[in-house]
Amino acid sequence: MDGKIIVVTSGKGGVGKTTATASIGAALALEGKKVAVVDMDIGLRNLDVVMGLENRIVFNIVDAVKGRCKLKQAAIKDRRLDKLFLIPASQSDNKNVLDPEEMVRFSSMLRRHFDYVFMDCPAGIERGFENSVAAADEALVICTPEVAAVRDADRVIGLLYARSITPKLVVNRIVPALVERGDMLSHVDMVDVLSVELIGLVEMDDQVVVSTNTGVPLVMQKTSKAGAAFRRIAMRLNGQVDLPIQVPEASGGLFKRFRSKFGLKK
Amino acid sequence: MVRLKGVGNSLCVMLDPMTPADHLRTELEKLFTGLKSEVENAKVTIDVGAPEGYDELIDELGRYLKDTFKVGSVERARRKKPRSRRIAAESKVDRLRRRDMERSWHDYRTDVLMLTGRVRSGQKVTARKHLLILGDVNPGAEVMAGGDILIMGSLLGTAIAGHPEGDENIILALDFRPTQVQIGSYVAAGLPASPVKVTEFAHVENGNIVVENYLEANPFGRLPWPQVR
Repeated sequence: MDGKIIVVTSGKGGVGKTTATASIGAALALEGKKVAVVDMDIGLRNLDVVMGLENRIVFNIVDAVKGRCKLKQAAIKDRRLDKLFLIPASQSDNKNVLDPEEMVRFSSMLRRHFDYVFMDCPAGIERGFENSVAAADEALVICTPEVAAVRDADRVIGLLYARSITPKLVVNRIVPALVERGDMLSHVDMVDVLSVELIGLVEMDDQVVVSTNTGVPLVMQKTSKAGAAFRRIAMRLNGQVDLPIQVPEASGGLFKRFRSKFGLKK
Repeated sequence: MVRLKGVGNSLCVMLDPMTPADHLRTELEKLFTGLKSEVENAKVTIDVGAPEGYDELIDELGRYLKDTFKVGSVERARRKKPRSRRIAAESKVDRLRRRDMERSWHDYRTDVLMLTGRVRSGQKVTARKHLLILGDVNPGAEVMAGGDILIMGSLLGTAIAGHPEGDENIILALDFRPTQVQIGSYVAAGLPASPVKVTEFAHVENGNIVVENYLEANPFGRLPWPQVR
């Protein structure tokens, strides 16, 4: 097996990296791929909570990298998906405990065991970021439609290009009604500034909070719009590059639908 | 504070006469120690920036240089008589006209740095003279030039032209929405953005940075013939 290492990063914190990692990982596992999601936020782990696996952690990535345990022992199988594995971060160490060379060695081992490995990068561009991108083949940059997030994403994209990684953009937490009113950045403006390939648009969705708190993968919730968007992103990553990108639209009332039917909608 | 320059077959020391003599001596020692063999018997001139006065200081420093570094002679730098300003100005125009009519810019070696692509947040581009970017400058990026800055795209970051003190320089962008612009010693921030994309340029006028529509203002269109900038 020669898997792909994909780093999920953003620069800014709180834009949805962890949710995206868990969701895209689960979606690819649903497609039948063997997937590992790796929490690289050493000292502040939370991917385990999002996936509802916090009570199963015995070994973590630091143990696996330092050879204190085998990869199999550190990789925790998901409760619902047979092909999804979590490699949790250590909560008691700090980010300097690992270095990029160690991560490159560890990643070559991960490549042999999994089809896809998602690195959940911590916020910032320091050691945690360097460790996460050290062995990455591809990168997903998560960005919300906010000026601050765009600024940080731009910085991160520059750093990824400097490492010869061409990133793809996921715009998260779009509120279509605000975009329509002109109160929120549109994904077109964001792509204009960031000038990278867009791979998915994810709408703001209350189900994310429910999923994060209950540990049920977002992509397994049939009614979740964000879940559906992450599934489509996973399909695009998995080779279906022609899958069209759906632009979230405000669910208008009867009158609005009527207007759009007759071509009166702006 | 103290600068050393080779002029013909002599060394010219430029210094600020207001600095205490002890300090000047220390600075001179630093400069001359490294050049020990070259300064022996050399002809040294001291330029205090004024045609008269400070004779005592020059004598004192001269004695010091002769005693310590065995320089040949020390004297005050003689400045050329300044020509009347009018004649100087005319001859400059004549010189420019002759040069430009002869199209001598064909042989002009340029210091322009021309780049293509996007300057991203956190990146900094510095040019010795003029800077031309075919691409965009994102928010959080910084472009700095000793001369003009021309952006064939959107300027959303910080642009610093005429660094450090070229107040004559301009900053131009096809889509001019910078975070901040600096020209020479002037700084402008919070410039109102135009609702539509228009080619604008910033320049210094009466001690203020002014942003104008480039095509309407056409600042260089009035020059009668092409000139090297």
